Amino acid sequence: MDSSESLWQFMHQQSGKLLQQTVQHIGLTFISLLITVLIGLPLGIYITHNKTTRRLVLGVAGVLQTIPSIALLGFMIPLLGIGPLPAITALFLYSLLPVIRNTYAGISGVDPGVKEAAVAMGMTPAQRLFRVDLVLAFPVIMAGIRTATVINVGVGTLAAYIAAGGLGEFIFGGIALNNTNMILAGAIPAALLAIVLDFLLSLLQRTGAARRKVVLTLLPLIIVCLSSFYVLPMRFGSRLLAGFTPEFMGRRDGDIGLQSVYGLHIRTVVISDAVMYEAIYKGKLDVISGYSTDGRLKAYDLVVLDDDKKIFPPYYAAPVIRRDVMQRYPELAPVLNKLAGQINDSMMTALNYRVEYLNQSPEQCARDFLVSRGLYQAARNGRKGTIRLGSKIFPEQYILTDIYAFLIRGYTDLQVDSKTGLGGTKICFEALINNQIDCYPEYTGTALLAILHPPAAESQRLAGNRDSVYNYVRRRFETIYDLEWLDPIGFNNAYALMMRRGQAQQLGIHTISDLAGYLKTNKR
Amino acid sequence: MIVVKNITKTFGARKAVDNVSFTVNEGENIVFLGTSGCGKTTLLKMINRLLEPDSGEIWINNHRIVDQRPEDLRKKIGYVFQNTGLFPHYTIEENIGTVPRLLGWDKAKMAARVSDLMEKLHLPPDQYRSAYPHELSGGQQQRVGIARALAANPPVLLMDEPFGALDPITRASVRKDFKQLDELRSKTIVLVTHDVQEAFELADRIVLLDKGRIVQQGTPDELLFEPAGEYARNFFEEQRFQLEAGRIGATDYPALIRAFDHFRKRQH
Repeated sequence: MDSSESLWQFMHQQSGKLLQQTVQHIGLTFISLLITVLIGLPLGIYITHNKTTRRLVLGVAGVLQTIPSIALLGFMIPLLGIGPLPAITALFLYSLLPVIRNTYAGISGVDPGVKEAAVAMGMTPAQRLFRVDLVLAFPVIMAGIRTATVINVGVGTLAAYIAAGGLGEFIFGGIALNNTNMILAGAIPAALLAIVLDFLLSLLQRTGAARRKVVLTLLPLIIVCLSSFYVLPMRFGSRLLAGFTPEFMGRRDGDIGLQSVYGLHIRTVVISDAVMYEAIYKGKLDVISGYSTDGRLKAYDLVVLDDDKKIFPPYYAAPVIRRDVMQRYPELAPVLNKLAGQINDSMMTALNYRVEYLNQSPEQCARDFLVSRGLYQAARNGRKGTIRLGSKIFPEQYILTDIYAFLIRGYTDLQVDSKTGLGGTKICFEALINNQIDCYPEYTGTALLAILHPPAAESQRLAGNRDSVYNYVRRRFETIYDLEWLDPIGFNNAYALMMRRGQAQQLGIHTISDLAGYLKTNKR
Repeated sequence: MIVVKNITKTFGARKAVDNVSFTVNEGENIVFLGTSGCGKTTLLKMINRLLEPDSGEIWINNHRIVDQRPEDLRKKIGYVFQNTGLFPHYTIEENIGTVPRLLGWDKAKMAARVSDLMEKLHLPPDQYRSAYPHELSGGQQQRVGIARALAANPPVLLMDEPFGALDPITRASVRKDFKQLDELRSKTIVLVTHDVQEAFELADRIVLLDKGRIVQQGTPDELLFEPAGEYARNFFEEQRFQLEAGRIGATDYPALIRAFDHFRKRQH
C-alpha cells in the first residue's frame, strides 16, 4: 500500500472537513491568545512595580503550566461543561505564564539608564510605559507571545476531546480507528500551523524600532480577526445536537453509516466518551454514540435507539492472545476460557455501573464477580512465567483484565503484569503485535471494521450475524497476525445511539429511523 | 536661582548627603567636585526630584520644587547623563525633540530647533537626523545628549559627569564645542565631575564635597590659593602647578615664579 498517496487521497477526500478543522483550530488558538495577551500583558506590567504580587502571580501561572494539559481540560468540565468555553479557558490558563513572565522580564530588562533618562525628561509613568518600556521590551514580549501561540496550537488539539473542534478531531479519530492517514491529516497541519505561526511571529519580533509602532497597532487587529475564525462559522443544521466520539465519526458503522444508510444528518460535535454521558445528562447534547453495556446508561437514565437498519455489527468481546504465548503455556487458554459465556449484557452493564458510577475499584468488582460465580481461587504465586495483559482505556476493559488476572493467578503458576489504559484500539493492537503485551480483550465488530477493514461487500455479507463475524475475524487474525481469538465472553457491547429517556419519549423517537425522520421534518 | 537648604539623604545606614546648603545664582555655572561616593550625583538628582531628600528643602526661582508635579518640574530642567541615556529606539531627531514633543510644540518649530542645535553641536542634520544612537560614535552621542537637554530651552541645566565616559581627545573636543554654545550664557548650570581640570575650566564657582558634606565652596582661585583645610589643599596638590599656571596667565611673572618655586619645593 502506498501510504503517501493514500494520505493525499484522504486529505483530498476530506478537504472540506480539514479546512473547517484548520480554520477552527486557528480561531481557537487566537481567541485564547487574545485573552491571554489582554490579561497577561497588564498583569506582567503590574508586577514589575509590585514585588509581593510578582511572586504570587508568577507562582500561580507557573503551577498552572505544570498541570498536564489533558488534566486541565478535565478540571474545566465540572466548572464550565463542554464545548468552546472550557477549551478556551484551559488554553488561556495554559499560555498565561510565558506572556506574563516575558512582559515582566522584558520591561525589567530595559537599560536602567534609559529608564532614568525617560524620567528625567519629564515623561509621566504612562508615557514612559508606552513610549519607552513597552517598545524596548517588545522583542522579549513577542517571544513570550510566540511561545504562547505554539503552546495553544499544540494543546488545542486536545480540545477535540470536549467538543470544541479543531485538528484534534482527526488525530484522535485516527488513533481510535487505527487509521494512520487520519492521524497524519490532523497532525501534519497542526505541526505546520505551529511552525508557520512561530516563523511569522519571529519576523514581527525582529522588527526594527522604527516599524514597531505599526506592528503594535496591526497585531491586535490581526489577532482579533483570526479569533473571529472560531466564532463566525457557526454551523447551521439540525435542531438536535449530537456528540460523537472521534472513533465513531470515522467508522463505517458510525457517523458515515448513519448518513449513508439512515440519511441521518445531525449537527455534530466531536467529544471524548469520558465526558459524553455527563454532557447528554445535563442537556448539553441530545444524542450520543455510546456503548450498549455502559454503566452510565443506567445511571443517567438514557435510552438506546433501536438500530432498525442494522448498521452496527455485533461487538462480542473475547480475549485475543499471541499464538507463541499460547503454545508456550498450553494451560493458559482453558483458564481464560473459563469466562466464556459467563457475562451477559445486563451483567456487564451492572459491573460497569459499579465502576463508572459508584466508583468501586475494577479489581473489587472482578473479585466479587468471580466469587459469586464460584470461580475465585486464591493466587498460587507460581513462578513459571509472566503474562502481560493489556486493556484499552475504559472501565469495562479494566474489569475484564482484572478478572483474567485473578483467573491466571488462581489456576496457573503464571504471574500477571497488567498494562492497563493503552488508549484506543490502535495502541492496544499495535502493542499486541509488537510483543509489548500478550493478550487483551477485543470486540468482534471493532476487529472487523477498525483493524481488518474488509471490502464493503464482505462486511455487508457478514452484517449482523454474531457467529459469521466471529469466525471471520478469528480466521483473518490467525493468518495475518498470528493471533488467536479465544471463546466470546457472552455480552455484546455494541455501538448505540442514545438519548435522554424524557426527550426521546416526548419526541416519539424509538428507532434511529424515527430520529432521521424527525430531523428531516423539523429543520431549523 | 537655586536655593538648597539643609538637605540630607541616606541610603540604608550610609549618609550620602549630610546637611548640605548652598545657593546657585541666576546664570551661574556651579561645579560639584569630589571623589566617587562623595554624594555629588545624589545631590544633583535631588534638584529635579529623581531622588527625594529625607529632609531639607530645595527652591528654584522662589518655588519649592515639591510643590510642583515632578513631570512639570523636569520639563523645565535639562539633564545630561554620563552614559548619554539616549533612547535607542528613537532617531537622533526624535531623541533631541523628546521634551518639545512632551510640551506639545508644533512640528515645524520642533524641526527647526533640532536642526539649529545639531548644527551648533557639529552634527550635520542631513546626515544624522534619521540615524539611530547606535550608529553614532561616543562623542557624537554625547553631543546628542547635550542637544536633547537644551532642546526646550530650559533655564536650568543639570549635568552628571557629561564628559566622563569619553576618551581624553574626544572629551576636549566636545567640551570645547559645549563651552562655545551661546545658549549657555543665560543658563544656570550645575555640573558634577571628579575631574579637577574640567571643574576649573567650566566653573564660576566650585563646591568641593567629601563624605556627603561640603568641604569648601568658592571660586576656583579661592579653592586653589586659599584652601580651607587639609582636604582641600591635598585635593589639588597633584595638579597644582598646572592649575595655578592656568589661573595666573602667562604675563604675571612674579606669580608664575612663586608657583614654580612652590612646585619645585614639592618635587624635593
